[in-house]
Amino acid sequence: MSEPTSPDDQAVGEPERLHRLFLLTGLGGALRSLAGGYAAIGYLAVSGRAGFALAGAIALVLFMAGGILLYWRRFEFRVGNNEIRIDSGIFSRRHRSIPFDRIQDVDLTQGPIARVLGLAQLKFETGGAAVGPNAEEAVLHAIQLARAHAIRELVRARRGSTAAGVEAEEATLPLYEMDTRRLLLAGTFNFSLALFAGLFGLSQTLGDVAGFDPFNRRFWTGVAEGSDPIVQFVFQHRAGAAIAGLIVLLVIGAATGIVRTVTRDYGFRLDCTDVGLRRRRGLLTRTDVTLPARRLQAAAVGSGPVRRFFGWAELKVQSLAQDEGSADHVLAPLARAEEIGTILHALSWRAVSPDVEWRRVSHAYIWTFVIALSPLFLLLGVQALVLAGAPMLVHSSARPAVLDAMTPLLLPTAIVLVALGVAVAVRRLAWGRTGYALDGDRLLIRKGWWRSRLLILPLKRIQSIDVAESLVSRWFGIANLVFGVAGGGVGGHRLPAIRRETARALRRELLV
Amino acid sequence: MDADEPSLLAVEPGYKNVLRVRLALIWVVLTGIAGVIGGVLFDQPLFAAVVLALGTGVVAIAPQRRYARLRYGLTERILQVMRGWLFHTDTIVPLVRVQHLDVVRGPLDKMFGTASLVLHTAGTHNSIVTVPGLAPERATEMRDIIREHVRTDFA
Repeated sequence: MSEPTSPDDQAVGEPERLHRLFLLTGLGGALRSLAGGYAAIGYLAVSGRAGFALAGAIALVLFMAGGILLYWRRFEFRVGNNEIRIDSGIFSRRHRSIPFDRIQDVDLTQGPIARVLGLAQLKFETGGAAVGPNAEEAVLHAIQLARAHAIRELVRARRGSTAAGVEAEEATLPLYEMDTRRLLLAGTFNFSLALFAGLFGLSQTLGDVAGFDPFNRRFWTGVAEGSDPIVQFVFQHRAGAAIAGLIVLLVIGAATGIVRTVTRDYGFRLDCTDVGLRRRRGLLTRTDVTLPARRLQAAAVGSGPVRRFFGWAELKVQSLAQDEGSADHVLAPLARAEEIGTILHALSWRAVSPDVEWRRVSHAYIWTFVIALSPLFLLLGVQALVLAGAPMLVHSSARPAVLDAMTPLLLPTAIVLVALGVAVAVRRLAWGRTGYALDGDRLLIRKGWWRSRLLILPLKRIQSIDVAESLVSRWFGIANLVFGVAGGGVGGHRLPAIRRETARALRRELLV
Repeated sequence: MDADEPSLLAVEPGYKNVLRVRLALIWVVLTGIAGVIGGVLFDQPLFAAVVLALGTGVVAIAPQRRYARLRYGLTERILQVMRGWLFHTDTIVPLVRVQHLDVVRGPLDKMFGTASLVLHTAGTHNSIVTVPGLAPERATEMRDIIREHVRTDFA
């Protein structure tokens, strides 16, 4: 063996490589990450230099394939008695050893290609840096599924927890499960116009070049020119066309939501294990994640006005690890209050009792928002003044011409005014739902109306507390309390707009 | 005095100079950029002069105010840091939550005889809490006090 290893060579096990088919699956991933290269090739192709484009594409693929081959050649891992060792790196070598004691959980991920080939990606969560450049270092990108299961069982067994787990579990009922109906319902609630917005943005940037702009009336007139009666019909029935457009938007929105939800949450199943929870989900990329209960930092119940009306909510938890790129782990995408209570209970957390005494936040929560929007209000005021005043100032003979010139300004002004009004109204509704409560050894914060969120934060998980004030909030005598909690998003958890003295008093209470 | 109410202390006066030099450096760079953009690209040399005047104003006003609002306090259980002029933040870190500690001295710190104490917690927000402008001996002393309390209660 050429690689330097420690004296206890016998204990570290035989070196193993990633599966050969990693060359295939890895290439797919590497090619996906090269958006800039495609743009350049696309540009070359569009500008008529197809030869260069082809050569560029071939060079790119060869380069990536060579890189992956080298990576594979230089990547070895060993499963020893007490640790897993990973030797990697093409030029600068890294010899990493992960003691079993330190492995918090093992995540299994299977992408669509990997599922066909019977491979899996195995990731060791160590509770170290969950974000940043070190996060990727304990990953075995492609190994046989059976081997992945074997290693996972081994890690569990070595850590002292009963390894009987996985197979025995199958017999018991899942803690939470989504059937097809629930899945489709969740998809409908995830109504999203992101696709529409994306198309709009694309047509704005590329439409001119490609001569394709579905948001321009002329495009459709051109398309429909051959079918003259249709054009006639559409332009004669403006109202009908508007309604049809609205229906198309609704369908696109709902379809986007359903497709997204189904690909992510298909076969969602949550099981109770002896150390925490185990979650499996995914249509194309299947993931299998374990969440030890003691690593959970906070829980959040999210909902919206429509979902709330029908009695649905979503349960997320914040753990030390990341969940497929997002900060929180979803434990139940769409669940009834009792189901959420059951899941929390399985984690030995109390459910939130309905008769908690909520304390409200200051009205300044709304006013600071209005002040933040004040430049827009000012602009609107000036414009309204001009719109109303200008026709009065000119001679009566010129008045019709001035009015005519200003008519196109009226609609945008009205739209902005309505949008601002809606924003303030939503803020007011959000204020009505914003509050906090001390519930024994934990703090409850709820806020938001359109995307409401009830945060359950155990006091012993609070790492630091800020009382943050800004120029504006100081006038109102209010402050934000910002809680530093391990894992989760960078922003921390924020309790907005409470009186400065109350904030300080509450902080003292929380840190006792 | 209550154990949880630390007496708040000011930091070394030399820290004002650190802030001044640091701000001045930033504004010199900004003036340079403004000079290139305004003078060379748009033929408006006045633009750089405006930026320079703005920078002089900021360097004259801001460090004094930020220094005056920078306070820290250490008790048996917590460290409190208050800082910021326009945006004021008042942070409390329980000492048991500290994961590890650094005493940092940059070139400016060495020039003006100051040091920063850096606390790392496990939090993602605010995982790094800094007490700048301490005398180096004081920073080391505080580090040793806090070190006594560091213990991990993490899984």
